[in-house]
Amino acid sequence: MKSSKPKSILIIGMAGGLAKITAHLLAKKYPTIPILGVDPRPIKDDFHLDNLELYQLPYTRGNFEKLFRDKKFDTVLHLGRMSHVSTNPGYNIRKRLNLNIMGTNRILDLSLKFKIKKVIVLSTFHVYGALPDNPTFLKEDAPLRGSFNYPELRDVVEMDQMTTNWMWKHQNKINVVVLRPCNIIGPQIKNVITKYLTTSAIPTPMDFNPMFQFIHEYDMANLITESIEKVPTGTFNVANNDVLSIREAKSIATHSPQYSLPLFLVSPLAKALNKTVLNLPEYILDYIKFPCVISGDQILKHFSKSPIRYSSREACELLTLD
Amino acid sequence: MEIANKLRKLIPLSSEIPEEKINDLFQELFEKYPDGEDPWGLNLEKTQKVVETLYPLYKDYFKVRVFGKENVKNKPYIVVANHSGQIAIDGLLVGLAFGLDIYPPRILRGMIERFVTNLPFLGTWTAEAGAVLGDRQNCLQLLKRGESVLVFPEGVDGVAKSTPDYYKLQKFTKGFYRIALSSQVEILPVAVIGAEETYPYVYQAKGIAKKLGLPALPLSPSMLLGPLGFLPLPSPIDIYIGKPITPPADLHGEEQDRDIREHIYQVENQIKEMIEEGRKNRRPFWAVKKET
Repeated sequence: MKSSKPKSILIIGMAGGLAKITAHLLAKKYPTIPILGVDPRPIKDDFHLDNLELYQLPYTRGNFEKLFRDKKFDTVLHLGRMSHVSTNPGYNIRKRLNLNIMGTNRILDLSLKFKIKKVIVLSTFHVYGALPDNPTFLKEDAPLRGSFNYPELRDVVEMDQMTTNWMWKHQNKINVVVLRPCNIIGPQIKNVITKYLTTSAIPTPMDFNPMFQFIHEYDMANLITESIEKVPTGTFNVANNDVLSIREAKSIATHSPQYSLPLFLVSPLAKALNKTVLNLPEYILDYIKFPCVISGDQILKHFSKSPIRYSSREACELLTLD
Repeated sequence: MEIANKLRKLIPLSSEIPEEKINDLFQELFEKYPDGEDPWGLNLEKTQKVVETLYPLYKDYFKVRVFGKENVKNKPYIVVANHSGQIAIDGLLVGLAFGLDIYPPRILRGMIERFVTNLPFLGTWTAEAGAVLGDRQNCLQLLKRGESVLVFPEGVDGVAKSTPDYYKLQKFTKGFYRIALSSQVEILPVAVIGAEETYPYVYQAKGIAKKLGLPALPLSPSMLLGPLGFLPLPSPIDIYIGKPITPPADLHGEEQDRDIREHIYQVENQIKEMIEEGRKNRRPFWAVKKET
């Protein structure tokens, strides 16, 4: 199914850093079309964009459907997956599962009902899981083992699988793109890995040193923007093929001397810090232990020029400029 | 270099570490890997330190000789070798041979068992020195990038043999040949002579190993000496590199087993012949180092 220029765009998860950058890029690329931003969290209106309307409402309520009915948009960007960072003001497991699974299901059903032409759903590479027997450069057809060791990742895997199944079921009626990006980092992004990289109190593991891929927030937003017209229905990894070891990445990002501990000591330290100053989910420990390197080749075939400007190393370097 | 010098003080090894030569070799390798790392976890800086540390062991302790260097051209290969020595010291020495004694130098990407990647420290150290998880996708990706891979198709059965089975090739698994067919990269047969004798007598307690969930459990009288008994003896090692084998272009990676079996036998037989020839030239156990 070929995509054309959008007439109106709905961005879900507008309070997030990535959505804000995406809104700016969309406003620049399509200055005349209306853009709507929605989020159950309060949205700080510091956009200064004429063609942007903001709504604070949950995706599971009737008002959300009204938005679909009244505003007649033809493109939906679902960037509203709730992350596992428990500092997130709306955090609790029940709420997260409801938002990520039920919320996504509702967004997809409404998109079908109101004949939306294009839906882009932001998933994550965490669906593959960090496991010792992962080959390097996992492709999109690799099994989703993210919740094998950590049931707390169940919603992430389920949301991805549900969307992918839905996508193929309705492929003749609606154009859906599922993106599984590697670690998105940048000054606007308050996710788990950005916290880990920039917190010098958390050590790197002495006994493991897996390879990591990073994509800068601007590049990710740019890729989402460009995908609206250029990427057909399908599931796509998003990553640079250049990688960094976690120790190297952390030393670049913190700009300070690193200290390492065996992982069996990092784990209780992380737990202790979680109860006090930090809030990192436990599954992150597997990601700093075993590799989960993905292949981003498939999506790049749809662009004449790669929308990814910064390498993994540069993305880490840019973190320190904040 | 510091660790290497400390090691030299502990063990009376005669060879000077050719600092300049190793630096030059790594200079070339750094051109190939400008970041000093690669997606599989290679860390060139650490590899250089490992090479400097192990150089005296390679040259003086195991007195490694390499034959058939002329068969190696500047292109990727699937290096297929017999496996021996209980602790896979052969993989390390073949890797060093391709880095130190064959020009242009290359980091041979040894395929390792799945359980190794799960081990603290060891998993990381092996990855930093260039080893990768033995997985078909990894292998194909590396070959595509122009890397050479080192495969031991005998697997654990080859490395964990009891003394009466020394130099008896175990059944080759088929994966390596399927990779060769898919990638159309030449197979370079290699025979390692001498690694079997690094432990004086070994009995493989397979039954106990199975009950304990271990891949192998070698028992040797030398182990009665405690940790010292686990050190491999300085058996002189010869590495023979055979003529490359080109995989047939009319077969593909997903052929049925019966269609590729004959081709695997051909590789097995070539390595078997090289082992037999090599054993005729086997040096006495306490051989004086001979330059080749």
